[in-house]
Amino acid sequence: MGALSTKEKVLWYIGALLIVLYALVPVAWIVSLSLKSEADLSNRSFLPTNVTWENYGGIFSGTASDLFLPALRNSVITCLLATLIAVVLSMFAAYAIARLNFPGKRLILTSALAVAVFPVITMVTPLFNLWRQIGLYDTIPGLIIPYLALTLPISIWTMSAFFREIPWDMEQAAQVDGATSWQAFRKVIVPLAAPGVFTTAIIAFFIAWNDFVFGISLTSTSDAQPVPAALSSFTGSSYFVQPTGAISAAAVIVTIPVVLLALVFQRRIVAGLTNGAVKG
Amino acid sequence: MTAVTTPQVEIANSPRSKRRRGTDRSRQEARLGWYLAGPAFVILVLVTGYPIVQAVYDSLFSYRLTAPDDREFIGLSNYGVILTDSLWWEALANTALITVVTVAVELVLGFALAMVMHKVLGFLRPILRTAILVPYAIITVVSAYAWQYAFSLTTGFMNAVVPGVPENFDWFANKWTALTVICLSEIWKTTPFISLLLLAGLAQVPEDMHEAAKVDGATARERLFRVTLPNMKASIMVALLFRALDAFRIFDNVYIMTNGAAGTQTVSSLAYNQTISRLEIGLGSAVSVLLFLCVLLICFLAIKVFRVDLARARGEN
Amino acid sequence: MGSAWRTRVGAVSAGVVLAGSLAACGDGSGGSGPPVLTWYTNPDAGGQAAIAERCTAAADGAYTIETSVLPRDAAAQREQLMRRLAGGDSSIDLMSLDPVFVPEAAEAGFLAPIPDDLQQSLTEGIAEGAVQGATWDGELVTAPFWANTQLLWYRESMARAAGLDPAEAQTWTWQQIIDAAASQDSAIGVQGTRAESMTVWVNALIESAGGEIIENPDAPVDEISLGIDSPAGEAAADVMQAITAADVAGPGIDNRDEAATADLFEQGGLMFAVNWPFVYAQAQQGAEQGTVDPAIFEDYAWTTYPRVNPEDPSAPPLGGINVGVGAFSEHQQEALAAMECIVSPENQALYMISDGNPAAALEVYDLPEVREAYPMADVIRESLQMAAPRPQTAYYNEVSTGIQYTWQPVSAVSDATPQISEQFVLEVLRGERLL
Repeated sequence: MGALSTKEKVLWYIGALLIVLYALVPVAWIVSLSLKSEADLSNRSFLPTNVTWENYGGIFSGTASDLFLPALRNSVITCLLATLIAVVLSMFAAYAIARLNFPGKRLILTSALAVAVFPVITMVTPLFNLWRQIGLYDTIPGLIIPYLALTLPISIWTMSAFFREIPWDMEQAAQVDGATSWQAFRKVIVPLAAPGVFTTAIIAFFIAWNDFVFGISLTSTSDAQPVPAALSSFTGSSYFVQPTGAISAAAVIVTIPVVLLALVFQRRIVAGLTNGAVKG
Repeated sequence: MTAVTTPQVEIANSPRSKRRRGTDRSRQEARLGWYLAGPAFVILVLVTGYPIVQAVYDSLFSYRLTAPDDREFIGLSNYGVILTDSLWWEALANTALITVVTVAVELVLGFALAMVMHKVLGFLRPILRTAILVPYAIITVVSAYAWQYAFSLTTGFMNAVVPGVPENFDWFANKWTALTVICLSEIWKTTPFISLLLLAGLAQVPEDMHEAAKVDGATARERLFRVTLPNMKASIMVALLFRALDAFRIFDNVYIMTNGAAGTQTVSSLAYNQTISRLEIGLGSAVSVLLFLCVLLICFLAIKVFRVDLARARGEN
Repeated sequence: MGSAWRTRVGAVSAGVVLAGSLAACGDGSGGSGPPVLTWYTNPDAGGQAAIAERCTAAADGAYTIETSVLPRDAAAQREQLMRRLAGGDSSIDLMSLDPVFVPEAAEAGFLAPIPDDLQQSLTEGIAEGAVQGATWDGELVTAPFWANTQLLWYRESMARAAGLDPAEAQTWTWQQIIDAAASQDSAIGVQGTRAESMTVWVNALIESAGGEIIENPDAPVDEISLGIDSPAGEAAADVMQAITAADVAGPGIDNRDEAATADLFEQGGLMFAVNWPFVYAQAQQGAEQGTVDPAIFEDYAWTTYPRVNPEDPSAPPLGGINVGVGAFSEHQQEALAAMECIVSPENQALYMISDGNPAAALEVYDLPEVREAYPMADVIRESLQMAAPRPQTAYYNEVSTGIQYTWQPVSAVSDATPQISEQFVLEVLRGERLL
């Protein structure tokens, strides 16, 4: 990278500041909303006049807690399982794609691509009808299966890109040095592959966590409803009052895990996202 | 990638592979490949293949969920109804508009973000990476609520901030302003993804080419258009295709912010209204099938006309 | 429920794709002990959950009632219920159902029949409109629970300043209040957002003008004849055009729902508002907590819905919620008993006080505690008796959505609107239109 003049440097720093503002102002806004009291919500200013935790009280122990807590549980379980299954399945698939030569490899990659761009809304009605008939409607497995359509393609992709980078020769080298093939696999390949698998898991989790269409179409009660879908059942202090405060508080809570993941694993996630789609 | 002999394959081969070792091995490798990749492939095909076949079949019927006895085969009539309905064309136009506008803005904005991230050094990089991942990772529904509340007449502060906007201006009452807010939320949430892809592309532009151009006296602008952009063409195309297909399916933002009021219906929300709200399975399936065909068409155009390199998209070299 | 999902999680880890094996986990109840009834309720301030507890206690072990909350939006509530019922869902024992969706549910066979003697006792002393809304094909198919009606709320001092006499408030017409609002440079709060509240308004205007949206509600779908393109429909369009012409719609009318109208009225932005009675309790609370100017709250006044024709009484909007028993419930006897308990006048009174939703039983309005909480109790009761239900048809969703699409935004309503609207709704009913 060429040397930058001081003026240039200052300009880039201003750019950096703008990026941070760009990313964080809408988040700050929803946090601010969640800290407003009901009367304050319509004050139409960015900040609350008085900070209050009553909205959080409402979703954790108040009237909305019957809706929010089961929904949070459903979201966590569904997304973790959908991620786990997608990662395990695509780990095998990606290994095959990266290391083996077999007819149909392109077919698998192309269909993963096709599924990734498939309009989700097209899947909803047929799945809804089928789920009703076989008893999967409004169940967690009934949500996990369609989530695989969201998480599998990107997992296969990201992970095969990672696996292609692994110097597999090292495995053989280890075997030559006297390690058994299992030892070679565990000591050499697993540590090399783990970051890729882990990164893929985070990206898959983000995608499952983001779902809304399946949530509102394939569930209807606290048995399986995830948080984004449950927000539409929140209620204000009376039937006709908009639950802005409760929704904001719930929105903040479901944002915390993804922000934490982004904070801790930013380098990995960026590598994963860029590896998967654009390989130089 | 050539056929690399792997220990696993060797083990799988060893019991019965004495004769015609070469072809046998490749057959074994193929089998192992399918054993490993098969489950994922089967799930992918089932979870999307079954619905599309079923949707095509359902779209040929007049079928209302609350009146199952009146179900009746009507051929392509549903398609006729949809294609002669102005609402379909409005929804299609809105969807196309949102796609073009958001993708174009995201590309420019994303490129700017990528440039800054590319240039900024040291301790700032991780901070920027984290900041930019926040919109990417946030739930679309949350983003939709945040932007809706920001512009809403009861809770929003935007009218006080945006210059030249009267205090009581209702953004969601007018088609164009409502679409603007929808696009803003969409752009905010998805630009980071594009900018990260572009950042990876930027990193691939050989630095010595820049230096050479500099020595030749090229201005910064010339270097951008002559060196940087041509070298990034492939990454840009792939990013474009994916974002376009993603934007074309827009649903969450519209559903939360306007639910299709003020003429902001999109194709996905139209399909949702027919199948889920009206319970008109036949009509709704036909809309879904048409949406699917639109997506196919975009893919086809991208690959044939714009020559987006699919092998590159698949991560092959 | 805990064990139900644990079973499911177990099943998932055993093999996600084995869908069939999971069907058994669908129902949370079963086993020994008293049956657990699930009551699907519309969102409220917790009043229905409290009633569920009271009725569980009163049942003395015969059954227990659990509540499960439906979405906020009336149309979305219907979506959830119909989708589940169309699948023959046995977990729906009791449901809170908006009266407008009763015909659809009854016609599709989703509601368990109510025995004749129970039909008798459930309708005694209930407002006439509420009984109509609970009936389909001559049979009471749901139990009226609460019956809402809209009043005309106004600022007394401003009305006097405009030369209107509050003693004659019941005879005020839309034209009068439009003129009065214009003279005071204020506005009229109507619900102009594209939602069910739009149909509520259009229906009330057409009914007040002596017409009706559907002339033969029980006809088969292809023979339904509409009364939108009629003198009454034109009168409705005239009212909306007058509001636009006088510029008294107020800010943000195109996205204004009941809550936004109430807020705007509290903040002094409106001289009149048509709205449900919940606004009173909300303003009272606001005045106590300091978010509403007490002077404005003191100025709150109310009367029955405004007239369209000066000589004809108005037909105020009728809302509310009925309770129905699911046709696929495995505990219909218990559910019927629970329904009877839920809608008892005593519970209706408690619900009216706790949640601000008016009772369907007229005797409730004589109770001192209700009269104390609702100084306008007599007006509500009178309004309930004048009120006209929205069209009773199995295709209500199509009719209502079609009306919302063609009458919203209010500023676009013209002389052609009734004709366009009628044409549009007919085409939707014949399956020739998207919505």
